[in-house]
Amino acid sequence: MALKTAGSVVTVLDPRGQPTNVIEPLPMAPRLDSLEGKTIHLIDIGFGGGWEFLEEVVAWFERNMPSVKTVLKHKTGIMFMDEPQMWEDARRDAHAVIFGVGG
Amino acid sequence: MENDALNHGMRLRFTYAPYPLVGRPREVLRRYVEGDDPVTGRPIMQQVVEALTLPLTPEEKEPQARRGAPRPRLLAADKEENLHQLFLESGWTDGLPIVLPTEERVAHMLTGTAADPNEVVGRMTITVHQEKLEYTVEKVAVNAVMAGAGPEHLPVILALAATEEPALPSSTTSFGRMAFVNGPIREEIGMNAGLGALSPFNHANSVIGRAWTLMAINLADSRLGETFMASLGNTINYNNMMFAENEERSVWEPFHVRKGFKKEESTVSVFQGWTAINSMGAAGCCRPAQEEMLIIMQAFPCLRGAITMVMDPLVAAHIKEQGFDHPDQLSEYLSKNFKMTAKQFWGSDVVYSLVEPFARSGMQPFATWLDLPDDALIAPYGVPENINVVVVGGETQALWLTTDMWHGKTVSVDKWRPKSGVYEEDPDAARRRSARLKRHAAALSRSGYAESSGH
Repeated sequence: MALKTAGSVVTVLDPRGQPTNVIEPLPMAPRLDSLEGKTIHLIDIGFGGGWEFLEEVVAWFERNMPSVKTVLKHKTGIMFMDEPQMWEDARRDAHAVIFGVGG
Repeated sequence: MENDALNHGMRLRFTYAPYPLVGRPREVLRRYVEGDDPVTGRPIMQQVVEALTLPLTPEEKEPQARRGAPRPRLLAADKEENLHQLFLESGWTDGLPIVLPTEERVAHMLTGTAADPNEVVGRMTITVHQEKLEYTVEKVAVNAVMAGAGPEHLPVILALAATEEPALPSSTTSFGRMAFVNGPIREEIGMNAGLGALSPFNHANSVIGRAWTLMAINLADSRLGETFMASLGNTINYNNMMFAENEERSVWEPFHVRKGFKKEESTVSVFQGWTAINSMGAAGCCRPAQEEMLIIMQAFPCLRGAITMVMDPLVAAHIKEQGFDHPDQLSEYLSKNFKMTAKQFWGSDVVYSLVEPFARSGMQPFATWLDLPDDALIAPYGVPENINVVVVGGETQALWLTTDMWHGKTVSVDKWRPKSGVYEEDPDAARRRSARLKRHAAALSRSGYAESSGH
């Protein structure tokens, strides 16, 4: 279809979809005063290299902060799925969590 | 990563290691851990400790919601050349020139459907880590205009939009898409199911495929480096392998009928995967095509146990001559006879990342496969329903494409038609149709196909 206003000022429609704005922000969990004597879960979410990297993080804690207890874990299921049991285990058994995202 | 967290409502503390990690020797990973964050330049482990112990900031205690401002219906009036520049520089195009979506053009496009312009068609995002955008019939029409489509193409484009499946699903692995149309609308809008159907010679195939990409950009918020993270990208993204099934020359019933639709219904089917391998004309010369398929399938990692064979009518006829009266029988044959070693299966990076977690959690058959010796043979395409077949092409060569595409959805096009059922051609549409028919007739004549096939 020919543009009748070619060569002049024209008005066009915005091609973009509308934001849905459905996400509600969550406050961050309180921080620890210190890691001394605390238990940290290190959770690999499954991308290649993440597990091996976290093993080295565990070794770093053993060398540099031996009072910290580390628990290295695989996330069950793939990285795109929520895992309520993982959160429940962390709340019950850990003071803090470090997630490892490899790739 | 940070956007991912924010789009789940979470403000998190991040520390970055050099990339990639996969495949790096252990001593390198140790150096990474003891070294600096390449983003901040500060020691990685110091940042980790601080992330867990430094007091929360006010924003971390009481985060504010990120709210996108509503987009206006109209952009500020401007000269054509400036608007073209705006669309290009804003990332609202595929890099090719577009047709500017003026009110006049969009109104004309909307004559191609009976749907209310304000009807919400769906919500889409190119990544599960991002909030969806919502879009109406009019927004779809805007992107259809930009793609160069006519009103006759709008029902198929609306059906694609209604799948809520974006053409550019974001993955660092660089996804591709495929879609094809079945039913009477193929001919009514002049789609090509025959000679060169997957090449850029047909207006309808081209603009419908392009519109799907533009909708992914504008209606699913594809932004390079922010939401779209494909490392190489994929040339399939330009047109998404858009074609029509050659129902007339296929020896089997059409794809959409096999999926439960009536033959007289029009549908579009969408697929997702990465790539396609051309058989280069191996059907029946030295070994049957189905045996060649088993060899070609070895090239794929079997991530989802899904394959789609896109085959010329000559291949379908050849396969049927081998005793496969229904394509489901071919699917069952391939599912049963394809084997690979456990070592080959588990050695794939994507299988390691996305399938091994299921095996560790006990899901069968993956848990059993994980315990097998390296040289044990497994049948990773164990669900025949995940092996699909579609027929397209001009019968100048008996070849097929083996694709790793999995079937997403097949949806009706008919609900999006105009009240008359078929768009009544305006002079522009009639001219496009006439030019297409002339070009196609000339091509068939040159190939000799028209005489030999009786078409």
